[in-house]
Amino acid sequence: MSDVITANNLTLSYDKEEQIIKNATFSIKKGDFVFITGASGSGKSTLLKSFYGSLPVNQGSLIVGGLDMVDIKKDKLQELRTHLGIVFQDYRLINEWTVERNVVLPLWIAGYSDEVQSTQAERLLHHVKLSGKEKKYPLELSGGEQQRVGVARALAKNPFLILADEPTGNLDDYSSNVIWDLMENACHQLDTTVVVVTHRIPAVFNIRYRHFTIDENGSVYEIH
Amino acid sequence: MKFIKTHVSLIFPLVAILLGLEFFIVFDRTTDTYQKSLQNGYSMMVVAKDEMSIDDFQVWDRHIEQVIEVQKNKILERLEMNENPENKKSFEASLPNFYSLKLDGYLTLDELNKVKVNLEKSDNILKIESFQSTYQSKYELFAFIKFSFHTFIVFMSIIGFFLIVKQMEVWNFLHAQRMKVMEIFGASLFLRSKVLMTMAFVDAVIAALTTSIVFYAIQNFWIKNSQMEIVKEKINSVFMMTDILILLFASIILVMIAVYIVIINVKEE
Ligand SMILES: Nc1ncnc2c1ncn2[C@@H]1O[C@H](COP(=O)(O)OP(=O)(O)OP(=O)(O)O)[C@@H](O)[C@H]1O
Ligand SMILES: [Mg+2]
Repeated sequence: MSDVITANNLTLSYDKEEQIIKNATFSIKKGDFVFITGASGSGKSTLLKSFYGSLPVNQGSLIVGGLDMVDIKKDKLQELRTHLGIVFQDYRLINEWTVERNVVLPLWIAGYSDEVQSTQAERLLHHVKLSGKEKKYPLELSGGEQQRVGVARALAKNPFLILADEPTGNLDDYSSNVIWDLMENACHQLDTTVVVVTHRIPAVFNIRYRHFTIDENGSVYEIH
Repeated sequence: MKFIKTHVSLIFPLVAILLGLEFFIVFDRTTDTYQKSLQNGYSMMVVAKDEMSIDDFQVWDRHIEQVIEVQKNKILERLEMNENPENKKSFEASLPNFYSLKLDGYLTLDELNKVKVNLEKSDNILKIESFQSTYQSKYELFAFIKFSFHTFIVFMSIIGFFLIVKQMEVWNFLHAQRMKVMEIFGASLFLRSKVLMTMAFVDAVIAALTTSIVFYAIQNFWIKNSQMEIVKEKINSVFMMTDILILLFASIILVMIAVYIVIINVKEE
């Protein structure tokens, strides 16, 4: 099985003084489902950012989807990102766009026709239990609803790698389970690699998963 | 309302800059004849022992563009010395040659004096006469008007430019969030900036057309009914159809630079 993410002595920081992630070495293979936990401020979001190239590698090496993130070219990074499904902790929807347009942003970027976009929007919103909200704007939705739009957007183009930051942070048990089912299915049926940052690993989880944690020193351990 | 406000705040400074540009072009174009007439109104009279061709003059000074020989018999006619043909012939032979010189450009007074000094170096030239005083005052007035006008336009453009920069900050605020999200999902620079480009393009076209209409009105309503003879005799060159293209081009280049600055300043975090 090929590696989707390989980190070797990966060190990440925002400024010279403070290293957030220190000497992390791990590899995530195709079809893996990985939970990342850790205290607030331990660097979970920071680690995810480095995976989608939003934060440069400070030391060590990081390879994502076969691309060396240390000196990745702009066009390569752009190409890589069109194959990722990212869920942000703070949702990051486009407020002046309808829910429908937001959901199919990855398809719009890839140049799919309007018909494909609208049928996919309907399907995706149905999956996250938001049918009927197509024409609403993000600020007209509750926090949990916005979060589900964000999840639907990440799944839109069947990415090879899903990077989700607290995708159920604002959801009740019922909605959380909807999201977990979607992610399980993507992993199980499409062999998608899934990396999820969460405070709370669901009690019932139907597929085999790995569990990484970040301690207060910024070291990354695999629990199992 | 918000839509109108965001657009007007770009269109307004753009129109200011374009008006400046067009005034610049029109001023130079319409006063061109006036400038030429000042230049032609100035001539030097030269008296020379032997006949001189234009090349002979140009050896002494390169500003000389045209040489008009004053016919000797015309001078004699003026002197009414035509009773005796014999007398006239010998007198004509003894007369020196008279030339009126035209210069190749709009020279300053210093440059004119230099021409004079240069010509005086020739042994063949006996006398140089020029008519400087009216030339000088007209020239200086013209130069002053032109300078003030250009200065005014430059300042107007600078103010316009600052207003555009201000508007760019507003754009940055309005569009940064969307452009950042798109970037993280791998949208190309073109896709990310499409909305901004389209908006800026529309505004640029509106600004160029507004300026064109203003000038069309100036030409057809104001100048036509005015007493400004210098401009009136060139009324058709106040505003030309090709100016619309120049204005469009300038306007689009300006906003595209503005858009580009906004786009490269959007940094994802
Ligand atoms: N843009 C930034 N610039 C500078 N420092 C940052 C930035 N973002 C995060 N940090 C710092 O990096 C550290 C880790 O932040 P990070 O967001 O990765 O934490 P987290 O594990 O995701 O926490 P949470 O569970 O609260 O989301 C924090 O100490 C934070 O102050
Ligand atoms: Mg976080």
